[in-house]
Amino acid sequence: MNYRNRLRSFLKKPHNIILVSLAFILIYLTIIPIFTIIIDTVTVHQSELMRVKGSRVGDFTLYHWGKVLFSSASRKIFYEPFLNTMVVAFGTCFVAITLGGLVAWLVTRTNLMFKGIISTLFIFPYIMPSWTLAMAWLNFFKNSRVGGAPGLFTALTGIETANWFAYGPFPIIVVLGLHYAPFAYILIGGILRNMDANLEEAALILKAGRGRIMRKITIPIVLPAMLSTFLLVFSSAMSAFAVPAFLGTTVRYQVLTTQMYRTLNGLNPGYGYIMALIMIVIGVLILGINQKIVGTRKSFTTITGKSSNISLIKLRGFRGLFSGILLFMISLVCIVPLISFAVESFIIEPGNYSFSNFTTLFWVGAGSPDIANSEPGILRNATIFKGLWNSVRLSILVAFFAGSIGILAGYAIVKKKGSKLATLVNNLAFFPYLMPSMAFGAIFLSMFAVRRGFIPPLYGTFALLVLVGVVKYLPFASRASVGAMHQLSNEIEEAGIIQGIGWGKRMMRIIIPIQKSSFLSGYLLPFISSMRELSLFILLVTPSTRILTTMLFQYDEKGWSQYANAINLLIVLFVVISNMIVTKVTGASIDKGIGGQ
Amino acid sequence: MPEIILKNVTKKFGKSIAVDNLNLKIEDREFVTLLGPSGCGKTTTLRMIAGLETPTEGEIYIDGKCVFSSNEGIDISPDKRNVGFLFQNYALWPHMTVYKNISFGLENMKWEKDRIKERVIKLLEMLRISEYSNRYPSELSGGQQQRVAIARTLATGPKILFMDEPLSNLDAKLRMEMRTELKRLHTETDSTFVYVTHDQLEAMTLSSKICLLKEGLLQQFEPPLDIYHNPSNFFVADFVGSPTMNILEVKGENVNLDEVKLSNGKIQVLFIPKSSSITVQDGQKLLLGIRPEDISITENGENEGTIYSTLPSGMETVVKIELDGLILTCVVFGGVDFNIGEKVKFSFNSDKNILFDKKSERNIASGKLI
Ligand SMILES: Nc1ncnc2c1ncn2[C@@H]1O[C@H](COP(=O)(O)OP(=O)(O)O)[C@@H](O)[C@H]1O
Ligand SMILES: [Mg+2]
Repeated sequence: MNYRNRLRSFLKKPHNIILVSLAFILIYLTIIPIFTIIIDTVTVHQSELMRVKGSRVGDFTLYHWGKVLFSSASRKIFYEPFLNTMVVAFGTCFVAITLGGLVAWLVTRTNLMFKGIISTLFIFPYIMPSWTLAMAWLNFFKNSRVGGAPGLFTALTGIETANWFAYGPFPIIVVLGLHYAPFAYILIGGILRNMDANLEEAALILKAGRGRIMRKITIPIVLPAMLSTFLLVFSSAMSAFAVPAFLGTTVRYQVLTTQMYRTLNGLNPGYGYIMALIMIVIGVLILGINQKIVGTRKSFTTITGKSSNISLIKLRGFRGLFSGILLFMISLVCIVPLISFAVESFIIEPGNYSFSNFTTLFWVGAGSPDIANSEPGILRNATIFKGLWNSVRLSILVAFFAGSIGILAGYAIVKKKGSKLATLVNNLAFFPYLMPSMAFGAIFLSMFAVRRGFIPPLYGTFALLVLVGVVKYLPFASRASVGAMHQLSNEIEEAGIIQGIGWGKRMMRIIIPIQKSSFLSGYLLPFISSMRELSLFILLVTPSTRILTTMLFQYDEKGWSQYANAINLLIVLFVVISNMIVTKVTGASIDKGIGGQ
Repeated sequence: MPEIILKNVTKKFGKSIAVDNLNLKIEDREFVTLLGPSGCGKTTTLRMIAGLETPTEGEIYIDGKCVFSSNEGIDISPDKRNVGFLFQNYALWPHMTVYKNISFGLENMKWEKDRIKERVIKLLEMLRISEYSNRYPSELSGGQQQRVAIARTLATGPKILFMDEPLSNLDAKLRMEMRTELKRLHTETDSTFVYVTHDQLEAMTLSSKICLLKEGLLQQFEPPLDIYHNPSNFFVADFVGSPTMNILEVKGENVNLDEVKLSNGKIQVLFIPKSSSITVQDGQKLLLGIRPEDISITENGENEGTIYSTLPSGMETVVKIELDGLILTCVVFGGVDFNIGEKVKFSFNSDKNILFDKKSERNIASGKLI
């Protein structure tokens, strides 16, 4: 076939058109920005004129690299935060996988009680904004040594908490670990649930003991999934911003993201871009390793879909006790933070929990001049409502575009499964996942501050927030959609092709209705994520485009913690309730976006 | 008249060749079976004719019209080839009722409501699934789903019907039943059937012509009985027939003008070709093929062996006889029972035994043994 004919028949297929367009768009939005970042690391910015002597804005310089990596200040600027980041990331992985894996195993393999409630509640910390637990931790355990009022714990017991317990790596790791444990639970649970139980039963018949089966069969089979979970959690923890910002800043415990925020927002954008670049490189390495592992994973987990009912391990006498304790702990993690926000948002003077100190000022007050510059209570506050409206609008738009593009991407990727183009698009669509949110925001900041071709300068517009959200959360949607398409045999569509049913109609009347719930999951996770996202948007919002999460952060920075607590409660309730409604009504679930089966 | 012609059709997946330079001419209203072991390229061939897969090379004509040509850059889309396709796993749309599954294609063709209804009802009756018209596919048994799939395929009235192992998911009894139905449908619908199966018995019983493939290469394209009695090579002979043909490795030697003396250690027989004489080199390695039904156990047989095992199945009995370390399989009508180790006499009394060259595996001649 000659080239013209080949091209023509190539472009006649909708999936090819989708792949080619996505390849172009995603290269433009994810690969090109990396080059702009690289350039930014060797460019003099406005605020750096004073330091880089005798330079003009836009000049080439190696000053940033030298300063960050090879100077006497490097330890403070880069190496220490880098080390801290690694400690936090590894620690988080350890906590998340141990906890998530344990609960996944208990739920799928033992006769634990309350399985339904446990698996619903256990996901909660992931649905809630990541800093929720961090704020709750502070509400409870903050001490007066660092300054400010002591927390509830001290108020109730009189015991002053130690610094290491209240701030720094320990609480950061615990909180992030709890936040990402559901992630591990979903991934590992998915494998355990779909693993052919015959594999274990075969061993049981051979009179292998439970422990031996666990060691020799179950763990080796879920190991690839665990490794894959490890890498994903690692990259998420590495790029976490809000939690270290809340729990680390007071004791000057800096990680790369907080350092990036300081430098990008402050006097040394060049430093920040170097850190962003380094984090992206680590992300790419992780993607590479993950690809290798997932590639081989398929070869040895038999996913039959119809796992026979394996005999559950009996917890015997411990059953009630164990189930009760687990349920109690999980409820504690889910509900107590909410109570603490509510409490904190109702007291005037922080740290004083006596009844006389209670007020509804921060909710419905008109605002008084002696408190927080006459800021009205959040339910009477026009700025807050503007922020809420922006958040909702943003989340809906991001969910709509990310979800819809994700469906198309998944469709086309699975259609051309195995081809180079499909692999490329699959990786490009997953790539934003590994970009630290803050770095991603920084990229878009530097990309779209000026006119690019036919795209006008977008900084300060709402459209920029939508764009960055769509690209950042496309991985969730495309994963959900790839999963859904994999379950759909190609012949289902071909049966329509043969009868002359057009592409649009095949999508709308056959493919999408059949996998409705999976595709909807591709909308749900971007929605929830944008609703509770902070670090992605924090560099991009301007006063007119402020959203709830950035307002929360600003209130907290100003020390008006009551407002922050009230807003947080608002966000958590909104996210949790909308998740519950969507899940109940449509059968969609966030598991599918994360990659659980 | 819809006839299908394949000219030099080749399909490569990357470097591996799935179908290798296939030439085929399927006449109007034939019932052609693509037969071969799994992975030999049957599905690929069928999908290429239907337009679901693009050949790497070659031309395809349907009804005199070129629907694919790699040289001219023609590639007509499947829906314009006026064909139906019955998928192995039925591919019913799970979110539509039986009625909707059948009517959807017609609605898409903008038929009028009344006409659609009439057509669907007729099809439901024809396939005897009227009472299920409001059920969803998941509420039907395998056999019923199969019928719905057939009805859906027939709805738009294609003149050519492709079927990819449509019966492989059914149990043995249902499979027998559906075979009968398919044959009936073939006459009723007056269309051309191209049928894929790896089951040689299915191919034998259903088709008017069998196209036998091996590793993407056409082996033989002839009516079933011709293939059975006159296989073009050793692979075909071995693939078709159950129990399989007895194969004896022998050395040949021309004797008495047109006879060949075959020897294998202790056994020695004379092979008399049916038609023209053949020439073999002295000591040429040959394969002698004897169908199980061509060995008869009789009191006055020339050969004597011991019973190795008997497998009675009621209507017939498969008897395995050991002869100097060789196991011969023969089929006896009716239920007979022998004791293992018992001595029996038998003879080769047909003129349909086949001689293959061992190296090329080609059929050299068929003939009698004495
Ligand atoms: N989409 C594909 N990609 C790569 N190889 C394929 C694909 N489809 C079929 N093949 C290969 O082509 C050969 C023929 O396959 P197929 O036509 O499905 O065989 P059959 O239907 O006779 O079992 C096999 O070796 C198979 O592995
Ligand atoms: Mg096949």
